[in-house]
Amino acid sequence: MTGAALLRSLRRVGAMAGKETIHVRRDPRTLALALVMPVVMLFLFGYGISTDLDHLPLAFADQDRSEASRALARAFEGSREFEVVAHPMTEGVESLFRTGTAVAALVVPRGYQRDLLLGRKAQVQLMLDGADPVVGNQVLAKADAIARAESQRLAGAAFAGLQPPLQVKVWTRYNPEGRSALYMVPGISAFLLAITAVMLTALAIAGEWERGSMEQLFASPVGRLEIVLGKLLPYLALGLLELLLVVAFGALVFDVPIRGSVALVMLFGLVFLAGMLGQGLFISVVARNQLVATQAGALSAMLPSIILSGMIFPIENMPLPLQAISRLIPARYLVHGLRGILLKGNGLGVLWPDLLAMAIFAVGILALATARFKRRVA
Amino acid sequence: MTARVGPAIVVRDLTRRFGTFVAVDRVSFEVEQGEIFGYLGANGAGKSTTIRMLIGLLAPTSGQATVAGHDVATAPGRVKESIGYMSQKFSLYLDLPVEENLLFFGAAYGLEGTALRARAAELLERVGLDAQHEATTGDLPGGQRQRLALACALLHRPGLVFLDEPTAGVDPVARRAFWDLIRELARGGTTVFVTTHYLDEAEYCRRIGLMVDGKLVALDTPAGLKRTWVPDRVLVARGRGLAEAGPRLGGAPGVRAVAPFGAGLHLRVDPERFDAARVAAALREAGAEAVEVEEAAPTLEDVFLAVVDRDAGGAP
Repeated sequence: MTGAALLRSLRRVGAMAGKETIHVRRDPRTLALALVMPVVMLFLFGYGISTDLDHLPLAFADQDRSEASRALARAFEGSREFEVVAHPMTEGVESLFRTGTAVAALVVPRGYQRDLLLGRKAQVQLMLDGADPVVGNQVLAKADAIARAESQRLAGAAFAGLQPPLQVKVWTRYNPEGRSALYMVPGISAFLLAITAVMLTALAIAGEWERGSMEQLFASPVGRLEIVLGKLLPYLALGLLELLLVVAFGALVFDVPIRGSVALVMLFGLVFLAGMLGQGLFISVVARNQLVATQAGALSAMLPSIILSGMIFPIENMPLPLQAISRLIPARYLVHGLRGILLKGNGLGVLWPDLLAMAIFAVGILALATARFKRRVA
Repeated sequence: MTARVGPAIVVRDLTRRFGTFVAVDRVSFEVEQGEIFGYLGANGAGKSTTIRMLIGLLAPTSGQATVAGHDVATAPGRVKESIGYMSQKFSLYLDLPVEENLLFFGAAYGLEGTALRARAAELLERVGLDAQHEATTGDLPGGQRQRLALACALLHRPGLVFLDEPTAGVDPVARRAFWDLIRELARGGTTVFVTTHYLDEAEYCRRIGLMVDGKLVALDTPAGLKRTWVPDRVLVARGRGLAEAGPRLGGAPGVRAVAPFGAGLHLRVDPERFDAARVAAALREAGAEAVEVEEAAPTLEDVFLAVVDRDAGGAP
């Protein structure tokens, strides 16, 4: 392609993108979907549907009845998260779970204080009501956080110089207070970007088929690739704006740290969005009308990004077949990548596999969608 | 860019199949520079399929078409740049302001900057929408939308425009205004290829091609078509009891066609055997009362019916 031809082509892409931008600007619903929804969602997940639980009823079975075990009980009681509702014997715990009186029980075995004093590893047992995995995970995380704090206190005071006496085995390192906003913000970003990109593109392109303007475009010198580029670019920009909004909002309202590079966050967003736009394009080429495109778009964007991305349910806890499927979901890589960048300050050195996976998805789906789009007669 | 010599459109044995269905069957014709060429036919006769091949949207199965000097099969891009096209379905962006639609389509055809704005303003004035340039397109009544769509097809000054049923669903006054624009366009030297359902509109065309079941069965000026296809005397009968008397007359020698026409009857008869008086007498004999019969000028509707009749196995 010569320079002049390329310039003409770019101008046509610009014309398409400009037109699409006017559509978006003139449609309050689209703007609301793209810019207001993120804020609302963030509030809902950050506060309302917060998976942070307060005053969880805890049964405290103290078989040691020592100074140390009472200190541990105070540590649990002193936190907002737990409320000691019963002091059963070990055998009574089962019935407390069954009646829902307690969602967790802490069992301190006989010899706890002795083990501590001897510098041995002291084991306490946490029993969980696993019926609600979300609550279960929360309890685990919080109990763990408290036990860890207690452990540090013990190590720092009377038992200085000893190994941390209580063991920590749950991942709380980057979210020591077990705050859900911290891992929800990256998760919500993926969810919102997926929704915006897939739905808006699917709608916008299906709309062109439906109103017949696609035929008018095909009859003009605007090439098919130019149509695709022009239509997708504004939504790419909108998606990136949305990502910035969510990250900024998370930082300001929920104190979500931004330990890594914002440019890397945007790069992850860009590659992820490219895939989602491709998915939207594909749906609209197949669906032809806005109603079907909306439903297919919502389902294909929302469900995987909520359920399989690790946004809410840890992928590690999924059955193996679901874990395998989640590898096909770009949202999984975005969530992992954003958590890495924001919470841990990871760079490309660590996160390149996530970026690569999203890039493969994006190239694949865009190629497929564009091929179908090119073949299709108006 | 546009070939100014020779015909605007040359079509040779153009054919398009969809599976086993032959939508357009070995159609050949030429359209002269600057003429209004009407393309008529029932729904599904192959009009739109022909247009879509001519504008480079659909590849022909076989045959050849040269549009504005470019082969549609080998240079669809050139064809697209050289023509204007107004699709059958209204396809502008209803949520955009009138002017933005023009600016967008202008940019799609490579116009830009002040030249584009000036051209858009000029066309708005020409189609009588300059006062509405800021209005939302969806708020315009049907006739104005069609005029805007025409303006969008003319932005890049094409020498040839394709209008696919441009007046479908538009009221009669707006249709008349639209055809005034088309005729003005042709006077300015633009070739117009137009399909329509409205046979009264077809009278404005310099020549008409008639499609039946994918075949081009007639091609001539409106007057020529009438001479060829309706050599019969056309009579209109009014009175009581015609609904019963008409069909009885239908089989008589010299009566070529009888069709209900409003409250009366429309008849085509052999001019050698029948005139108005004799038809009136025959109808009375068949049981009609208060019969009045007048001679009528043949219309394109008569032509159309005659063509369809012949194709269905009747005699011309």
